Amino acid sequence: MRRWYKNLDFPILLVWVALCICGLIAIYSATHGDAQEYLLNTVQRNFQRQIVWLFICVGALSVIMLLPIRLLIRLTPWIYLASMALLVIALVFGREVSGARSWVYFGPFGFQSSELAKVGTLLMAAFILSSRKGGIESTALPMVGVIALPAILVILQNDLGTALVFVGLIPILWLWAGIRLRVVGLLIIFPIAGYLTILDWTIALGFTAVVGIIAWFTTRSPAWVTFGVLAGVITLGVASFALNAVFQPHQVARIESFLNPEADEYRAGVGFHLVQSKAALGSGGWFGEGHMKGSQTQGRYIPEQSTDFVFSVIGEEWGFVGSILVLLLFAILMLRLVRLAREIEHPFGSIVAAGTAGIFLIHISVNIGMVLGLLPVIGIPLPFLSYGGSALLTNTTLMGLALAAYMRRSEFAMYI
Amino acid sequence: MTDHRYWLFTFAIGGALLILSLQLFRLQITEQQDLSSIARGNALRDIRIIPARGSIYDRNGTLMVDNHPTYTITLTPRNFDRAQIPLLADHLGVEDSIVTQQLEEAQAWNPYRPSPSFSNVPFERYARILEDAYRLKGVGWETGQQRHYSTNARASHILGYTGEITKAELSSGSYASADTALYRQGDILGRTGIEKGYEPWLRGVPGVARSWVNVHGLEVMKYAQGQSDQPPRQVYDIHLALDHRVQTLAESLFVNKRGAAVALDPNTGGIIALVSKPDYPLELFSGDLSPQAWQDLNVHPDTPLYNRASMNLMPPGSTWKPFMALLALSEGLLGDRGAEATIFCNGYHPVGQGRFFRCLGSYGHQTVLEAIKNSCNTFFFELAARMDLSVFKQYANRFGFGVETPTDIREQTAGLIPDSAYFNNTRSYWGKGDVMNLGVGQGHMGVTPLQLAKYTAALANGGTLHAPRMVSYLVNTQTGEKMDPPGLPDPTPLGIDTAYVNLVRRGMRLVMEEGTGRASQIPDIPSAGKTGTAQAPRNLRDHSVFIMFAPFDDPQIALAVQCENTGDGSRCAAPIGSLMAEQYLKGEIPSSWRTDVRMDRAMTAISQPLSSENQ
Repeated sequence: MRRWYKNLDFPILLVWVALCICGLIAIYSATHGDAQEYLLNTVQRNFQRQIVWLFICVGALSVIMLLPIRLLIRLTPWIYLASMALLVIALVFGREVSGARSWVYFGPFGFQSSELAKVGTLLMAAFILSSRKGGIESTALPMVGVIALPAILVILQNDLGTALVFVGLIPILWLWAGIRLRVVGLLIIFPIAGYLTILDWTIALGFTAVVGIIAWFTTRSPAWVTFGVLAGVITLGVASFALNAVFQPHQVARIESFLNPEADEYRAGVGFHLVQSKAALGSGGWFGEGHMKGSQTQGRYIPEQSTDFVFSVIGEEWGFVGSILVLLLFAILMLRLVRLAREIEHPFGSIVAAGTAGIFLIHISVNIGMVLGLLPVIGIPLPFLSYGGSALLTNTTLMGLALAAYMRRSEFAMYI
Repeated sequence: MTDHRYWLFTFAIGGALLILSLQLFRLQITEQQDLSSIARGNALRDIRIIPARGSIYDRNGTLMVDNHPTYTITLTPRNFDRAQIPLLADHLGVEDSIVTQQLEEAQAWNPYRPSPSFSNVPFERYARILEDAYRLKGVGWETGQQRHYSTNARASHILGYTGEITKAELSSGSYASADTALYRQGDILGRTGIEKGYEPWLRGVPGVARSWVNVHGLEVMKYAQGQSDQPPRQVYDIHLALDHRVQTLAESLFVNKRGAAVALDPNTGGIIALVSKPDYPLELFSGDLSPQAWQDLNVHPDTPLYNRASMNLMPPGSTWKPFMALLALSEGLLGDRGAEATIFCNGYHPVGQGRFFRCLGSYGHQTVLEAIKNSCNTFFFELAARMDLSVFKQYANRFGFGVETPTDIREQTAGLIPDSAYFNNTRSYWGKGDVMNLGVGQGHMGVTPLQLAKYTAALANGGTLHAPRMVSYLVNTQTGEKMDPPGLPDPTPLGIDTAYVNLVRRGMRLVMEEGTGRASQIPDIPSAGKTGTAQAPRNLRDHSVFIMFAPFDDPQIALAVQCENTGDGSRCAAPIGSLMAEQYLKGEIPSSWRTDVRMDRAMTAISQPLSSENQ
């Protein structure tokens, strides 16, 4: 037997360390300095607490690396059930933080149940996909069920953003597990058409027409053309109806404000985040204003800056060059994970690794898209950079599982 | 794993990051200018540094006005521990409930920013709070400035008071537009006197400190390490021509009297003293002037806010006779013999239609010199009867009567010198009597003490009119550069033959030595003067008027005094004027019987009170 660390993927570990350090620096800048005293006492200590969480993560990572994968597979249903139970407990007994009832407390330690549920859900989905007896289409119902359950619970906790992460996993996992590409394509129509409807319904309509044409040339099947066009039209209709008749004005404002954050009706409220965030990024320029020197960061103009808007610290203080470097680290992390996923021979491990990359991709795109004013304000954290122990632990665990699966990539085969 | 799914996923990741990178490029590079200007608009604040207001000194360099610090205690509710309310209340000497109330107001305004809650805290209380600062978290302090007056002289009407700029003044734009002195709410500006007239120099140009501020408006750090900050500049200290001891003396002599006195340096026009009584303590305006106090000042029957020295009009009485003499000599009204010519006084002068104007005595044949010494009315009635009214007005204007005086005193009235058009407009019938009255400085004319003093100064210096000026020079507090008060005209000659002026001066010297000014002589210093009695309307006691200059051969001071409703000129105005001159020339009032006489006369004179009936 080869020495275990021969198979350990050091590039990912190095990127992980680099990202965590970037996160610590940014959190430090967002919570220290002259204006520190104007932050809430709890926020002032975010830097120190993130360090404590990092130590916990290193411990968790070591345990996960030692975990035999067979045991993990066997435990998966129980992990999933435990996650769901936590979600329910949080929903019933939990404490409300920033509007979401997702926190569970064990003594002084608080966990965000919706974060931890990502691990259980990914493992369960990978379990279903890898242990199926029939064709991949046969997993449709269990997959939807396994993912819809946490998604609905999280929605009940009043955290729509995190629920979208769960739903977003479906096309990614199916793509990797080998479902027909046209199904993946069909699933992707929904979010794109929805986004375009928020921008302008006529664009969404045009997009639907293009979908129909592409569907015809790729499938030559009237049924799939119908599916595609229906997906677009239904999304357009539902989204328009929801924006105009279902959502409360403050919810609509949250969704639409990114289009014109400076408009009077948004400026005082949710648009304020975005105007300030963009101003911070813009004043960064090529090389940034320097650590602890960003006027918007040090002036605390951007709310939630150590958590959801942490990228604006990097944008302002490290500039375009620094921001691109962070994006490159993310690129290495995700592409490397996908690469590992390809190398892992057992489907379970492979899907867990790919799913991990998928979860990171959704978080990174949605979070940075929000900070850059491309997407509505959806409060989900930026992996490894945002302050938040549960998220840090969850993301590190996911990465650890992928690394563990990769370390034992050849061991897997004999159990098939 | 099929290869194309691997590549699809890879491209999806790459595509997403590419879109983010492009947007990042757009925000940080393409739109950098716009966005960073938004950021600067958010976070850059220019904090003005208001310089200490210039100080005011008297002619000997004695400090009269400067600034003293004021202390304001601030509360920052977010950092303040409510358990410390009793401690703070104890230090401030107020009830706990007042602290609680201020705390709630501060909380409502902004919990993060220090709120100025207790202003004008006495220094001892401020010091106690400072000592306990470690226990009083969230309690801060700001220091401000208020005017402080160091001498016994009130000089209310010269120095003037300051006040906070009003909303109306701010919105009128007249203050905001001058780019040397941008005013904002809460700024102090001069309201009257020197404080107003020299506002731009006393205030200077505020400096600017540029800082990054946080979302709560508090400073985070200096902008560009303070490189672009501008210190305040162009503040001037003002050096007055005023002698604070003469001023103090004159103010004290006016006890129980309404009236005014102006003393000038005849060689420069510098105002040695300017008294207007009653007056008011300027300290009233230093702290928070209560509305009641302001109301009292405004409705007081003796009008303390009114600057009698430059605004009060009354006939000059016999102090007008030197002027008439100069007019007559210059215009040849006395005939070919000029100064040698006589006019016969038998105790009265006919007005016509069987009426007569009385003289105080029957002086017989009078030359100009004798007529001035004796203050013979008949002589000057006759001169007035001989003169052309338009020439009279022209001469009066040339001496500075009936026109505004070029000076750095802002509030003044031009006075009244009638001509035929004036009588035609105001009277249905007028005649010789009205004109003759003007010859002795009575009737339809009004002059201010300032005008009389300026005229006296011209007599003193041989015929040159100097613009009366409060300010001798200004000194830039940073550079030490000296500057003359701006906007004052150069001295102008009266254009009267010096021989005539000297004749009149001799006449005025005789007044002091042998005439009505005898009792008001300055021991050991020859002087020249003229008393006057101005008739007051409505059966009130006459006004006492006096002009004087000294020493006779090298005049250093020329003055005019008006006492309202105190009787004739030798009784009140003359002793006051004489004592002022002596104080100025000797630096003290040595005790002597002459001092006792003058003091007694000056102090016992009382202005007949104004009641609502005789006003």
